[in-house]
Formats: sequence, C-alpha cells, structure tokens
Amino acid sequence: MPDAPVASLSAATRTYGGVPVLDGVSLDIEPGFTAVVGPNGSGKSTLLRLLVGATEPTAGEVRHPGATGPKPIGYLPQRVPFRDGFTARETLAFYARLVDDDPDAALERVGLGDAGDRRVGALSGGMRRLLGIAQAVLGDPSLAVLDEPASGLDPGMRERAFRAAAGRADGDTAVVVSSHALDLVDAHADRVVILRRGRVAAAGPLERLLDERDAADVRELYRVVTGDAGVGTGDAHAATGGDESDDEGDGDAEPDVHVTGVSDR
Amino acid sequence: MSGRRSGVATVFRRELATVVRTPGYGVLAGGLLVVLGGLLAAGGGGATGFVPAVVDLLLPTEALVPLAAVVLGYRALLTDAASGELAVIRTYPVSVGEYVAGVLLARLTALVGAVGVPYAVIGGVVWLTAAPDTGIFATHSGVDSPLLYVRFLAFVLLLGAAYVSLAAAVSALAASRRSAVALGALALVAGVLGGDLLLLRSLAAGASPTGVPASLALAPNGAFRGLVFEHVIGVAFAPEGGFVSTPRAVASLVGWTLLGPVAAGATLAYGGRVDAAVERVRRGIGD
Repeated sequence: MPDAPVASLSAATRTYGGVPVLDGVSLDIEPGFTAVVGPNGSGKSTLLRLLVGATEPTAGEVRHPGATGPKPIGYLPQRVPFRDGFTARETLAFYARLVDDDPDAALERVGLGDAGDRRVGALSGGMRRLLGIAQAVLGDPSLAVLDEPASGLDPGMRERAFRAAAGRADGDTAVVVSSHALDLVDAHADRVVILRRGRVAAAGPLERLLDERDAADVRELYRVVTGDAGVGTGDAHAATGGDESDDEGDGDAEPDVHVTGVSDR
Repeated sequence: MSGRRSGVATVFRRELATVVRTPGYGVLAGGLLVVLGGLLAAGGGGATGFVPAVVDLLLPTEALVPLAAVVLGYRALLTDAASGELAVIRTYPVSVGEYVAGVLLARLTALVGAVGVPYAVIGGVVWLTAAPDTGIFATHSGVDSPLLYVRFLAFVLLLGAAYVSLAAAVSALAASRRSAVALGALALVAGVLGGDLLLLRSLAAGASPTGVPASLALAPNGAFRGLVFEHVIGVAFAPEGGFVSTPRAVASLVGWTLLGPVAAGATLAYGGRVDAAVERVRRGIGD
C-alpha cells in the first residue's frame, strides 16, 4: 500500500494525573524509517505506546489503516521485558510459534545466532535489546515500533541495532524508532518527528526539514527546533554501556514519564 | 499462517515451563507433603483408614489448599503486566481470552502437581498401611475404601482450582508484587473465613437453619466441606446425607473457578480504557 499511511494519530492526547504528557498530536506514519527524537520527558515513549495500542489515548484517535497481516504491529518497549529464566532461543520460540516464524533465523538476523542457548538474564543489556528487536520484527509486521533500540549499547551495537531496524523499512513497512542517537538518526532515517513538551515541534521527511530549517544535519536541526544546547546525549548515553537502568533515568517511560516530564517544564 | 499453533497452547507451554523452573513451587509441594504427613501421623497414622484420615485432614485442608492455591496464582497475570511483556504479547495474534486461559490452565496443572500429588501420596500411604478392610473398593455405604479418598482428592482439587482462579483474577488487578501479596492475602482470608462468618451472622439474625445446606454451598470452603461430609465422611456414618446440596456445591466451586478468568480477562481487556476514562474525568475536573 504505497503512499498510504501505515498508522495515523489525530489529535491524540494522553494525560497522567490530569497532566498532559502528549498533547493533541496529529501524525501520519508512512512506510519507511521514521525516527522520533526529543528531550527527556517530551513524550516519545508515550507516543510509541499509543501507536502500538499499549496505552489508550485520553482524547483523539489512533488508527492503523495500513497495518495488516496476522501480526500487523511489532513492538520493542524501552525496557526489554523478557523472562530471565528462558534462553534467547526459547524466548523467541514462544513468539515465533504465534506467527509461524523461525526463531533461529530471527536470532541470526540480529547477530545473536551464537547466543541462542544463553539465558536472557545472562545477556548483556545490548544483547537483550537486539533480542527485543528480533522479537519485534517476527511475523513481518507492517509497523515495527522500537523504543530506544540503541540505548545503552556500545557504538558497534548501536550501529547494528539501527541497521537491523532500518533494514526492515521498505515501501510497505514502516519502522518507527525513538532515539537520542542523533548521528544514527541522521544516517538512517527517512522521516523525523521532533517532540517538545508533549507536542510535535517538527515532522516530515528528513531532507525537507533540513532544508526548511537550514540545518546541516539532525543534530543541528534538533538544536534549532528544541533549543536544547545539551544535544548529543545519545552518544554519551550509549557510551555508558549496556546497563538498562540508564533508560529509567531517561524519564520518558511510563509511568514515570509524566512526573519527570512535568518537572522539566 | 496455517501452521500457527493455538494461542492457548503456546501460552500454556510457556507458563508451565516457568512454573517448572520455579524452585519455590517444588518447596511448596514438599512442605505440603510434610505437613499432611505430620497431620496423618498425629491422627493415628495411615492404619486408621481412609475416612479417619480424611477427618484428620479436613479442617487443615480448608486452610492449606487455599493458601497453596493463592501462592500458585497470586502473580500469575501480574508478571507479564508488570514487566511490560503483556504489551508485547498483545501485538501478536493471541487474544486476551487465550492468554488468560493459557496462563490459568498452566497454573491449574501446577496445582495438580503441587497439591494433588502430596494428597495422593498421603492416600497411597494410607492404602499401604491401613487395616485389610480398607482395601475393599466399596460400591455401597458403610465401608471405608480408597474410592472415598479419591472423592476427597477430587474435592480438594476443585477447592484449589477455585482459589487459583480467584488469585489469578486478583493478580490481574494488582499493580505491583506488594499489592498482589496484599490482595491475595485478603482473598484468602475472605474466602476461608468469609462464608462461614456470613452464615453465622445470618443464623444469628434469625435465618432458618433449614437453609444452611443451600447457604453453605455458596462459599468455596462451605461447598468443599459440604461435599466432603456428603460424599466421603457421611457415606460411612450418615447414609441419609443432607449436609449440602451436591449440585449447588459443585456449581459453586465450578462457578468460582470460572469467575476468575472472566474477571481477569475483563481487567486485562478493558483496564486501559477504564484508566483512560478516569484520566478524562481527572482532566475535566482540572479544567
């Protein structure tokens, strides 16, 4: 279904404790690779949760006109949630059985072919995240939504995670990622959505946005749109290594997001 | 996707693997066996026969089986919801009903292992050590027999199933492990004591004692106790029966067992919408 949106949000709003975390967001998700960027607490994770149906909007509507097939949507949450006692292969096998897919092929796709027998609890943060990506794209979903796929990874792993995600995007499939890794967004994204304080500050094809804002790259675009001088935290964040607890400090995950997001305003 | 397996079977398999790999459930079964063995020994040992063993075990069973069942079920549906994995599972072609059914069936299978096996072992001990006449398979009243113990075991599992199911429903409502423990404890106390206390209160308020057999069957423990008196202990000592309405007691235990997945399914399916509706109200008040 070329040129038709895979998903669309119209005036989507989500509040927590009566305070809006995402406020009147209208957006079409087209086939291709879309990156959602924004400061901590800007509503990225909430936007992604609305997109996959994990969270109900308090106002507005989320539709998936172009998401079809037995498993229309794939999702990697910010905190990879798999059970520690299972091996990587067993974890994927559970999901693969539901969509008649091959768990070993999925492990190979993300470079975890040799780690299939390792327990999830024994995997590094980066390997867990790659396992989550492998899970999200099982069953060839039309819409793959990955929340911080490169968070907590070393530079090689970050590139691998983004390549694995971008490789899924084509004329029929939309891949949406949230990330602080602006260099990788610059290298891989077809479209960019910049969130600021729960609203869309800029959205569209990357080249067009760069032209419109007279920016050389995504980093500069981000700085211009958000006014955030502290841009580039993605790299520093990644350099901290595979500890997922870093993600929690991001403040963009539910249910903490609204608290941190509000206090940041 | 013709080769796709049923969602219930796939979820069941994963949940059962989780249960099997949880050492605590093995400890639970072992502990239950030790306690039951101790109770049997304190009551005179297996030599006394099946019905005396059931009499010794009946009262502790009304607390032990619900306790074990709540332990098996109190986190059944919380684990995936709290970790965020349920949001992932729901992107797959498995409905909330299939998910709840798969989890619950695995937990009920665990109940058979963790509760049914210890009771069966105790029955085996009685069989091996009881006086000769207890080896007779009775087809009529007045004779102690293994058949009566098998009935008792069936009622034990029915009681346990009701509590596993209710604990699973409670686990769907819980927001954290701590709240799951609190809600599970509340359900346990309400279930074990609540029915009897309500019955006593209604009698004190002037209700007719002739209504006791019908009222007794409403709560899981009352239904279980009534069935054991009616079909195990009473067979040997009171042929006329009348302790409880059997169809009503069985329907009560089956009903409580079915209530759990229905409540859990509704919570998981509509919890998000309710939460969003509450937020709308909050925002409306704020505006």
